[in-house]
Amino acid sequence: MLLIAGTVPQKDMPLIAGPVKREGDQLVAGGRAFSRIQGTGAMISAALTATEYMGVEPPHVAVAGDIGKGDGTRLMYRYLTENIASLKPDVVTLHYCQPFMNLLTLFVKEVEKMEKPPILIADAGAMYAAKAAGLAQKFDVFTPDPSEIAFLADPAATHPAYIANHLFGSEIEDVPELIAAAYRNNSAASVLVVKGARDYIAKNGSIVATVEEPDIPVLEAIGGTGDTITGLTSAFVFAGVDPVEAGILAARSNRMGGKMADPTPATRVSQIIDVFPAVFKQYLCEWSGICAVPSKGDK
Amino acid sequence: MGNNGKKSVDGGGLVIFEDVSQAIQGEKVLRAGGYEVKLIAPPPKYRMGCDLGVAINLVEKTGIERLLKEKDVHFMNILSTTEGAAELVSVVKTTDYGKWLMIKAGNMKLAFEKATGIIVNTSGGGCPDIPYLHAEMVDKKLIDAPKPSELGYTLCALMLDRAYEEALTVWNGGN
Repeated sequence: MLLIAGTVPQKDMPLIAGPVKREGDQLVAGGRAFSRIQGTGAMISAALTATEYMGVEPPHVAVAGDIGKGDGTRLMYRYLTENIASLKPDVVTLHYCQPFMNLLTLFVKEVEKMEKPPILIADAGAMYAAKAAGLAQKFDVFTPDPSEIAFLADPAATHPAYIANHLFGSEIEDVPELIAAAYRNNSAASVLVVKGARDYIAKNGSIVATVEEPDIPVLEAIGGTGDTITGLTSAFVFAGVDPVEAGILAARSNRMGGKMADPTPATRVSQIIDVFPAVFKQYLCEWSGICAVPSKGDK
Repeated sequence: MGNNGKKSVDGGGLVIFEDVSQAIQGEKVLRAGGYEVKLIAPPPKYRMGCDLGVAINLVEKTGIERLLKEKDVHFMNILSTTEGAAELVSVVKTTDYGKWLMIKAGNMKLAFEKATGIIVNTSGGGCPDIPYLHAEMVDKKLIDAPKPSELGYTLCALMLDRAYEEALTVWNGGN
């Protein structure tokens, strides 16, 4: 099971859990619908396109409504902490949520009790909490953007809004040093997939790959184009791809999706997600040897 | 509201008050508003006013500040209690995409169309209120869009607010 947990920007939406499917511009799980346009919904949507294409089980989700007050985040962590042992997922990806360190710590403690702990992936708020609580090394993959890798590199920062200005002002050429600093500070997961003008994939302190083609600068202006990389990485890892290779495939797929969608800064991330099946069909076998017979996702 | 542990406030934030009664009032107001907070004696270096402060999750600073003001609870400051990380990122970057301009502040960004001032994209997330703000702001003119600091609750919203203010300044100056 690939379990994706996060929040969605809907007031008063209770926690919903279960396998996810797409219905039009909505995702549906546990009998409730939520948007696939932004945030964790976009991340789940990207993962779903990949699992459908590869013919593997769709993601299970645990999401709750939260517009920034933390109520949905608390529901999400309570569900995870109480149910992780019985769910026995292979991969858990934590996404948008309030970075409550104490709740993440309780969850990680439950994971550590498991006979076969899942592969842990984190982005956004969950990643902030993991770093701030000193739990980064408990995670297998982080997927930071450039400002977030600066945050991981700053030993004093508890949130990306508080990064030392000299680190935030860093340019693309400085990212390798920020990656090195994040590992030195024990603030990095085993694998980092750093999303940016040039994507860096690092493992245990060393950069092992970069991806910079095709170069689509406008992707940076489109909200959610980092979430898609997290979703794709999660799906590929769940399908059995090594996390480093999964990060590379996700970065390449995202860029190629950007190219095929021919975006402007006004393009929505859902338009890019919608071309992923075409990207997979054309390139995935060549890039990775994943040549599964396309299932429902191939239209 | 759920609370999975006794040690619920470890978020590196501290509200400082002038007197004890305000601190107690602040704690009550914040608890009633759904925040997990607790009264503490501030470490000496953070003592500006009284010997009582309210520990908060710093990420919730934006919403907490707004709630205290709405309820007329006077406070002196909201501080980060993490060494060396007390200042918000002040670097703002601008990227020109021809018909569009993107402004980035901290980990948050906002893109708008130069000719119309219509917001065409904002960051996808980071904190839970950012997708919500995306839905509320995109397709609106800068001058008509809600201010992230008035609608959001987190530090991410505060950074998006900086990007928004910068975009507004550029828009007003260029048209």
